[in-house]
Amino acid sequence: MLTAVKNQMRVCLLSIKYNMMREMVNKVTFLTNVGFMVLNNASFLAQWVILFRLRGDVGGYTFREIMLLWGLVAASFGLSHILFARVFSLSDLIIGGKLDAYLVQPKNVLASVLTSATDVSAIGDLLYGIVLGLICSPGVGCFFLFLLFTVTGAVVFTAFALLLGSLSFWFVRMDLLQSQMVMGIVSFGTYPDGIFKGVSRFLLYVIIPVGMAVWYPVHVMTVFDAGMLLTVLGYACTLAAVSVIVFYRGLRRYASGNLMEARL
Amino acid sequence: MQAIRVENLSKTFRVKRKEKGMRGSVRAIFHPQTEEIQAVNGVSFSVEEGEMLAFIGPNGAGKSTTIKMLTGILYPDGGRVEVLGVDPTKRRRQLAYQIGTVFGQKEQLWTHLTPYDNFRFFGAVYDLTERETEARIEELSERFALREFIDIPVRNLSLGQRIRCEMVAALIHKPKVLFLDEPTIGLDLVVKENVRELIRQMNREEHTTIFLTSHDVGDIEKLCTRIIIVNDGQIVLDDSVEHLKSHYPNEHAPDTAVHGREHEAAAESGDISDVSLEDIIVEIYKSQGET
Repeated sequence: MLTAVKNQMRVCLLSIKYNMMREMVNKVTFLTNVGFMVLNNASFLAQWVILFRLRGDVGGYTFREIMLLWGLVAASFGLSHILFARVFSLSDLIIGGKLDAYLVQPKNVLASVLTSATDVSAIGDLLYGIVLGLICSPGVGCFFLFLLFTVTGAVVFTAFALLLGSLSFWFVRMDLLQSQMVMGIVSFGTYPDGIFKGVSRFLLYVIIPVGMAVWYPVHVMTVFDAGMLLTVLGYACTLAAVSVIVFYRGLRRYASGNLMEARL
Repeated sequence: MQAIRVENLSKTFRVKRKEKGMRGSVRAIFHPQTEEIQAVNGVSFSVEEGEMLAFIGPNGAGKSTTIKMLTGILYPDGGRVEVLGVDPTKRRRQLAYQIGTVFGQKEQLWTHLTPYDNFRFFGAVYDLTERETEARIEELSERFALREFIDIPVRNLSLGQRIRCEMVAALIHKPKVLFLDEPTIGLDLVVKENVRELIRQMNREEHTTIFLTSHDVGDIEKLCTRIIIVNDGQIVLDDSVEHLKSHYPNEHAPDTAVHGREHEAAAESGDISDVSLEDIIVEIYKSQGET
């Protein structure tokens, strides 16, 4: 069992390494992608600087807490897209019948699929997020919590995308819903939860997991709450387990395909 | 001993139907219509260890669906499958260690990597140690004559070179059964012959069972000893290639009168190889289309 896990890890790490090698073939493009992503993220800081000059707080958040939100969203999104970028195009693989190459290998299909691509610009997101977290964390403990929540956030991003992408085994064109819902975490997660009331707040805690990926963690980093911490950890594990179950249930319905294709 | 055993295998796909034009698209939103297509319908056969079998049929006959169920890619709706004594639906990963697959239309290699890096990756996939992988790469690159391009990225290789690399990747773990789905598609005559010789060599030296689907009669004639023809998801013929060539034209004289006479003449002259296997297969396809 332990050897099987070790061998699986070896293949996943090799896969991630080869993805990186592919992206680094053109050094100029690689560095430009990473650099521009950092700049792109940083440009949003300006609007918050201006807003906080006009008001003392926004939705109950201070400037430092808003920056923690931004840092956490960017770092979680980045980590998820570096390690498991393929999950965000899972619908395409399922509908196009492109899972065959993974199914004939003696390895865990899901792990092989998830680690089969990387998004190079996400390195910029991760770097930007971690720097922001380092600057805005009031202490070392808070920064360690930031790193922990980066991991749980990446799990939520990946599992949520996996759950929605796996619905493509049953329904067509789930790719649109998947991308919109996942980007919803980014769009709403970079605003304080205090500005959302009623139904919208309920939806952002229940349907789109912004609350568990970003808001709860920032609350824990600001005022430590063990209950909230355990809730976030439990939610991330549960969502991951449910998404894996749905994927494997759907895999039984996989119809493959006969399109010409190459592993690019 | 049997390498493959299939009993009453069935697979149905549900496909959407849509009327023509924009109106049809709008109507399909509110009144979606689906249709069930029986891709494989009660197929039964077995393959002995070390046998070279051609599993052929016209487009849409159910060949690829069958091969995908044998390799664990698709779940059957009914029937039983055993490959090397393993049920692919229950122990896909265990089976994958013992089989190899080459899909001529689907590349498994990473195109930005060199063949050497690809083979190392596949060595890791099949849990080979670095020493085992290196030894196998050495052996196969010699046999498949890959040395001159083993360090060139796959995307820069010719189609023939790529197919040879695909085969090496599929053979890195010494599979007992090799599934080949149109392995020579798009290759020129010389490269085709080269690939066929390599397959023959694998069968001869490593006693690998070959399960081949191809539209190229040359592949069947030069590689396989037995042929199974499927149409509409059912087996319509299961025979040895030699027996088919020597008996089919006479046994089906009304349908293939010309070929029957040709065959008789050829038989009288003692040269039955003059009868074209391609003509026989086309006749079988046509007769199935008529029924």
